[in-house]
Amino acid sequence: MLTQRYEAPTTVADAVRLMQADPQATPLAGGTDLLVQYRVGLRRPSAFVDLKRIPGLVGITLDEVGMRLGAATSAAEVCEHGEARRLWPGLVEAVGLLGSTQIQGRGSVGGNLCNGSPAADTTCPLIVNRARAVIAGPQGERTVDVDGFTTGPHKTVLAPGEVLVALWVPRPAAGTGDAYLRLIPRSEMDIAAAGAAVSVTLDKGGTCTAARVAIAAVAPTALLVPAAAEALIGTKLDDAALVRAGEAASAAARSIGDKRGTAAYRRTVVGVLTRRAASIAAARARASH
Amino acid sequence: MATIYFSAALTDFTGGIESLTVDVPRVRELMQAVTERFPDLADPIEIMAIAVDGEVYQEPDYLKLGENSEIHFVPRIAGG
Amino acid sequence: MSAERTFEYIGTRPIRHDGLDKVTGRANYGADFTLPGMLHGHVLRSPHAHARIVSIDTSAAEATPGVKAVITGKDIPKTNAKLSLGEAAMELGPMGDNALAHDKALYEGHAVAAVAATSPEIAREAAEKIVVVYEVLKPVMTVDQALAPGATILHDDLVTKGKPLADAPKHTNVALRMELKRGDLEAGFAAADLIVERTFTTPMVHQGYIEPHACVARYGEDGQVLVWTTTQGHFIVRDASAGILGIDAAKVKVVPSEIGGGFGGKIPVYLEPLAIVLSRKAHRPVKMVMSRDDVFRASGPTSGTKVRMKIGAKKDGTLVAASASLYYEAGAYPGSPAGAGAMCVIAPYTIPNFMIEAYDIVVNRPKVAAYRAPGSPAAMFATESVIDEIAQKLGMDPIDLRLKNAAQEGDSAPYGPKYGPIGLKQVLEATKAHPHWKAPLGPNQGRGVACGFWFNAGLNSTATVSLSADGSATVVTGNPDIGGTRVAQAMMVSEELGIPVERVRPTVADTDSIGYNDLTGGSRVCYATGMAVIKAAQDARDQLCARAAKIWDVDPSCVAWERGRAIPLNGASDKEPLTVSALAAKMTATGGPIVGRGAVSAPMAGPGFATNICDIEVDKETGVSRVVRYTAIQDVGKAVHPSYVEGQMQGGAVQGIGWALNEEYIYDEAGHLENAGFLDYRMPVASDLPMIDTVLIEVANPLHPYGVRGVGEVPIVPPLAAVANAMAGATGVRFTDLPLSPPRVLKALSGA
Repeated sequence: MLTQRYEAPTTVADAVRLMQADPQATPLAGGTDLLVQYRVGLRRPSAFVDLKRIPGLVGITLDEVGMRLGAATSAAEVCEHGEARRLWPGLVEAVGLLGSTQIQGRGSVGGNLCNGSPAADTTCPLIVNRARAVIAGPQGERTVDVDGFTTGPHKTVLAPGEVLVALWVPRPAAGTGDAYLRLIPRSEMDIAAAGAAVSVTLDKGGTCTAARVAIAAVAPTALLVPAAAEALIGTKLDDAALVRAGEAASAAARSIGDKRGTAAYRRTVVGVLTRRAASIAAARARASH
Repeated sequence: MATIYFSAALTDFTGGIESLTVDVPRVRELMQAVTERFPDLADPIEIMAIAVDGEVYQEPDYLKLGENSEIHFVPRIAGG
Repeated sequence: MSAERTFEYIGTRPIRHDGLDKVTGRANYGADFTLPGMLHGHVLRSPHAHARIVSIDTSAAEATPGVKAVITGKDIPKTNAKLSLGEAAMELGPMGDNALAHDKALYEGHAVAAVAATSPEIAREAAEKIVVVYEVLKPVMTVDQALAPGATILHDDLVTKGKPLADAPKHTNVALRMELKRGDLEAGFAAADLIVERTFTTPMVHQGYIEPHACVARYGEDGQVLVWTTTQGHFIVRDASAGILGIDAAKVKVVPSEIGGGFGGKIPVYLEPLAIVLSRKAHRPVKMVMSRDDVFRASGPTSGTKVRMKIGAKKDGTLVAASASLYYEAGAYPGSPAGAGAMCVIAPYTIPNFMIEAYDIVVNRPKVAAYRAPGSPAAMFATESVIDEIAQKLGMDPIDLRLKNAAQEGDSAPYGPKYGPIGLKQVLEATKAHPHWKAPLGPNQGRGVACGFWFNAGLNSTATVSLSADGSATVVTGNPDIGGTRVAQAMMVSEELGIPVERVRPTVADTDSIGYNDLTGGSRVCYATGMAVIKAAQDARDQLCARAAKIWDVDPSCVAWERGRAIPLNGASDKEPLTVSALAAKMTATGGPIVGRGAVSAPMAGPGFATNICDIEVDKETGVSRVVRYTAIQDVGKAVHPSYVEGQMQGGAVQGIGWALNEEYIYDEAGHLENAGFLDYRMPVASDLPMIDTVLIEVANPLHPYGVRGVGEVPIVPPLAAVANAMAGATGVRFTDLPLSPPRVLKALSGA
């Protein structure tokens, strides 16, 4: 195939129809992963179906229940959203880690999720914030948890003809704080060797009543670690609890060694990142009361 | 009179002799004197630069030698 | 050289003439050139690190609509020709075989065929249809594998040049062994109170120039060849391409584009011979552009190394003996900078007894190209780490230890000749006096210092200076401008003629439009081409004086030149001085155009020395480190345009820091490169680093009229050890293997 088609539908229905008609077509949001993979020959789609002209695929709406984030909304738009930053500082900071300033002008959170990288920076913060993925397909719309959306490296639950149209994040309960930390050898423009997202909810007495911990780049997909959450729930998030959460994260890691770090290295640092992220989330939760 | 110093890399070709003093006016005549005395040296020094009193030249054939000039053969250096 | 000379333009910081075009994206680089009817070339590369090419079937590619030519190694003559670059002789046979393999693919990414077609996509798809049958051979990826008994041999006809060991095997991967020695090594070590011996390794790294290789070639039916290309030396592209293809050099004209970085990697030819041959076959111009992947796999890099270093010292810090063995990966063909490394390894110090041996070793990796002070950074990493450890063990200040042993004018360099005026002691004194050296360190921080040494080349250069009727001037040279050399050349013309820099237009001319110039490299352009420019400007000035004499009708001896004007001397003192503009306006009447010319074969400029101070902060739980403060101090001879001298120092420091911290070629066991892109080949990005502070020390080079010395290469030498010494300070662990990537640091800290 020497040439690719470019399609720019203006309705979700048209996008689904185009995707269904051509199994080799691929949705295009910011293109910051896809076009790079295309140019080096990793992917040769027959058509690019640009989602950015569909109303609702770009933009953020926030109501009393939660935030709807259009799947193709640029990272920059998320980062500039003051209320989103106040409610989910960890998530928004993770969005701000994507690529560079230029990349963030194009790249989207939805694209980051659909690319299906185990090292995706925004997936773990979405998971700990109980985000849901809104999917349109030939049979209509369905909604799934972001936890479980990716099924393996660069594999997702999207069936042929389906496109991700939005992410929905419920408003956090009172006394909740989140945080995401990743490890890269450089200061930016890099892919995480390990990452950890933590969300904790504290009661007025400072006791942790709910927690979620998810880790990145240490398993074939982003990994929710219930054992790490359990190490936090019921404690005052003292140092000992944070250390236990870190140990649980390390124990849960199923890392492999590659050019970005050895398996042992990743297992060790994911525990350190979990402990540190939990500490930041705890401080944010305390401050929110 | 000019004195030529042979580095460890070259003494294999001079029978272990480490220096040679000759009375010649220019580098060209010095090279002739050296290769006449040590014919095996001709090949290795052809691709070397020549330091005359500390200044390194690629092909100083017609450079006049001073009263007590010191000559070294130096590997040519490729810069970046 | 008169030390008292005061300058009007030299040492100022005018805006560079090429600046606006570059910052607005208007400047034309290698891939920006197009011609009507132009085809696009694509190279098919070997997927194997080591394989015999059994057969190549190009029929399916040739039958693809849009394909106009397909070539293989059979289209590139095998040659024994050599090219004398003034520097090391360039063997054209291996360069041609590297551009397109004849019998064996010697590394993953080695070109085995090339296609020219009407679009890049068709060329790529057609190239994928070429069927190459390989007999896959065991790859030799490291110097240890290459030297092991029974190792696979890359080249059956390779013999060790130089001074091979007596018991060396006949079939070998060692292309060269060289030795430097002085004094009595055993007695030297016997007299030492302290001996430190360690083995160091550095990974293969790439120059990382931002602009990939690119060219357009047009082969005319009359045999005349035109090449547009991005290169450090278009005369070398001309001579190498002509030599490889057996064409008369006079039939080849090469036009250089602007160049987006080279650092030594844009000296060899890769694409140009292929584009010429494809154009000859297709009867149309052919453009070839490397992808970043191609750049990593098949151009550049510099040697991975192993260096064993042993130094003995007295209690008072006097260094008494040193022995070193340097093993450098050459890549697929001979030619690593091991010899240069041997010459540099102890060059800053006067050590009476030493024995240094260096090995150039072929392995199944891309053929190495020069990289900024080639050979020196890895060698000095070993020396400066050991010196640091000696200082630590003797309880001496590391700068005092270096000062005690620092070479100075009149000392014999380890490679033979005596040093002229050199600035090492001044640089060390300035380092010691710098506020950075005494500033307090924060928690988890460490400070390291290290020295660097590099030669500075001379070689051949030509320049012309022409005057316009309005009194403005053009200066033409043949050296692609990598580091701000054009503005420096204009400043030299300004200095000699007394006209403002803005009224001088500097130009880099093609191979037909200026006399021969050696490459832009070896830190030589501001020095040697600068000498040619000064000569050309002085020639123009002498002509201006003669024109004034004609106007005044006096003997030329009655005219002198002073601050941009011809002034009358005794016997003509009634005349009013004549400015450049006034004289230029009368060119036609006084004898025609004024063209000054200068051509030089310059001796080496005399070596450059630098030191770096590095502060690093280490996260001991993750192994991640950050350089938090950095200062580079260097003897620059005379800074013509200080901003670009500082830029060279900063750029070299950044590349060296990258080499120390994260950059490395990562291969799998079969010899496939796993990180052929900037995502996983981690050069520093701007936000990784603090401002690199610079201190310019000016110890005039007596060989140059202004005292200019080369400045471009030595900046990359000190950082490797400066960073590692800082890391030792921060962690208490002495690291001997680069890069100091987070996994390696954490592993060492956890003792695992």
